[in-house]
Amino acid sequence: MTGLPLPAIQAGQVLTVGLGAPLVSGAIATVEARLQGRRGPRVLQPFYDLHKMFGKESLAPTGSGVLFLAAPVIAIACYLSVPLLIPVLTTYPLPLATMGDILGGGFLLSFASFLVAVAATETGDPYAQLGASRAKTFGAITEPVLLMVFFTVAAITATDLPYALGETVRSGPAQVVRPAHLLATGALLMVILYETARIPIETHTGTNELGMIETARPFEHSGPYLALLHWGSMIKQLVLFTILLNIFAAPWGMASGTHPLAVAGAAGALIGKSLVLGVLIAGLDNAFAKLRLFKITEFAAAAFLLAIFAVCTLFLGGG
Amino acid sequence: MHATGTTGVVMAPSVFEGTASTVAMIVLLLEFLMLRSALLRAQIRLYAAQSAVVSILAAVIAHGRSLPELYVLAVLSFALKAVLVPWVISRMMRDSATEIAGSGALGVASEVIVSIGVATFGFFAVGALHIHSTVLPSAALSLAVAVVLVSFVLMIVRRDVISQSIGFFSLENGVSLASLVVAAGMPLILEVAFLFDLLVAVVVFGILMRTHHRHVSSLSTADLTSLRG
Repeated sequence: MTGLPLPAIQAGQVLTVGLGAPLVSGAIATVEARLQGRRGPRVLQPFYDLHKMFGKESLAPTGSGVLFLAAPVIAIACYLSVPLLIPVLTTYPLPLATMGDILGGGFLLSFASFLVAVAATETGDPYAQLGASRAKTFGAITEPVLLMVFFTVAAITATDLPYALGETVRSGPAQVVRPAHLLATGALLMVILYETARIPIETHTGTNELGMIETARPFEHSGPYLALLHWGSMIKQLVLFTILLNIFAAPWGMASGTHPLAVAGAAGALIGKSLVLGVLIAGLDNAFAKLRLFKITEFAAAAFLLAIFAVCTLFLGGG
Repeated sequence: MHATGTTGVVMAPSVFEGTASTVAMIVLLLEFLMLRSALLRAQIRLYAAQSAVVSILAAVIAHGRSLPELYVLAVLSFALKAVLVPWVISRMMRDSATEIAGSGALGVASEVIVSIGVATFGFFAVGALHIHSTVLPSAALSLAVAVVLVSFVLMIVRRDVISQSIGFFSLENGVSLASLVVAAGMPLILEVAFLFDLLVAVVVFGILMRTHHRHVSSLSTADLTSLRG
C-alpha cells in the first residue's frame, strides 16, 4: 500500500488537533475531579457542551461592532493554522510547514488572543474588559521567557524551525541531557501552565470574577460564538502541549514515512502523550495553592530564571 | 563563544559532561529556591537537598572519571551536610521556638531579578578566565561561582539569623562544587579538611544564634540597629 499524499497528512494534523483538543480537555477535567474526590464529568463532556452551544441562538450587546462577531471565527482559524507549521504527526517538514517558523506560530497565537481581547473591550462589560486587560498585561510579563526559549532553540540548531529542534533532540542522548535543553523545556512548561490558565492564579474553569483572566474574556459571547471561543482555547491548549511534547520534551512516536498506519499511530501517540502531560499538569495544579494576583511576577521571575540560564550555559560552553 | 561549529551551532557536550553540568545547575537552582522560600524550615530542607545534590555530583564524577576516592568524599559530605548539619540547625530552631516567615528586605521577584544579574555576572566573569578542567566541563565552575554569589545575596537580603547561616553553609556548597571542578584529583585529606571546616562554622554560627536569641529573644536581625547606644 502506498503512502498518503502529503497535503492529506497536513490536513490530518489540523484534524487531529481540532478533534483531539476537546478530548484532552475532558480527560484533564475528569482527572482533576477525581483528584479532588469528585466524580467529575464524562471524558467526552466537552463535545456535548460544544454541540449544545452550537445549537443555541447568539446575541450581541447593543453598540458592538462587526469585530465582536468576527473575532471568534478568526481566532479559531488562527489556532487551527498553527498545526500546519509545527510537527504534529510527522518528523519531516510537510509542504506548508516552512511558511512560518516558531515566531510565525507565536504571532498567530498572539494575534488570536489580541482579537479576542479587542472583542471583549468592545462589549462594554467591565469584567470582560478586566479579563482582556489582565491577559495583555501578564502576557507582556511572560513574553521575555518565550524570547529566551527561542534564543536557546536558535543557538542549539542555528535555525528557528521547530522541525530542526525535534530532529536535534532525537539525534541522541547527549542532546537530551544538555542543561540548556532541559532548562528551556522547564521554562516552556511554566509558560504553558500560565497560558492554559492552570497556575499560578487562575482556575481554568473558574467562575469567580476576581480570579479570572482568560475565562473572563468571552463573558458577552453566546451560542455558536461562545462555542468557537471555548473550542479555540481547548485547541490552543493542545497546540501548546504539542509544541512542548513534539519539539522539546518527547519528540518520539511520530511518523517518519507516509504510510497511513504510521500516521494514524502518530495521531494516537500525540493524544496519548498529551493525556500523560495533562494528568501531570492536573496533579501540579492541585498540588499548589493559587497565588494572589500580583504574585504572578514571582512565577514569571522563576520561569525567566530557567530561560536565562539556558542561554547563559549555552554561551559559556558545556550547555 | 565556546565550542562553536562551522554553522554557528553550539555543539552538544558529551553525555557525561551534560549530566554533570545539569547536576551543577540543579545546585544553583536550589540556591534560588532557598532565596525564594519564606519559611525557615523549608530553607533548611532545601539546604539538605542541595548538599545531597553536591554529593551526588561527586559520585557521578567518581563513576565517570574513575576516581574511586571521590566516593569516600561523596559519602562523607552526604552524612555531614545533608544529614548532620540540617539536623543540628533544626534542633536549634526547635529550642528557640520562634518562627519567622518572609524576612526578605526586597520582594521575591526583585530578589530573583537581582540574583539573576549577580549570577550572570559571575558566569561571564569566570567564563572569561578560560579555566579548563580535565574532570568537569568549565560551565560547572561558572555555576559554582554563581552559587557563591547568589548565597551572598541570600545573606544580604534576609534579616534573620537562620537564613544568614544557611546562606553561609550553602556558600560552602558552592565552594566544594568549585573544588570538584578545579581539583577533583586533590588528595582526599585536603577535601575532608574543608568539610570539617564547615563543622567549625556550624559551631560558631550555633553559638551566635543562641546568643542572639538570648539577647533579643528573636531570630530576626532587624532589631539590631535599635540597640545602638
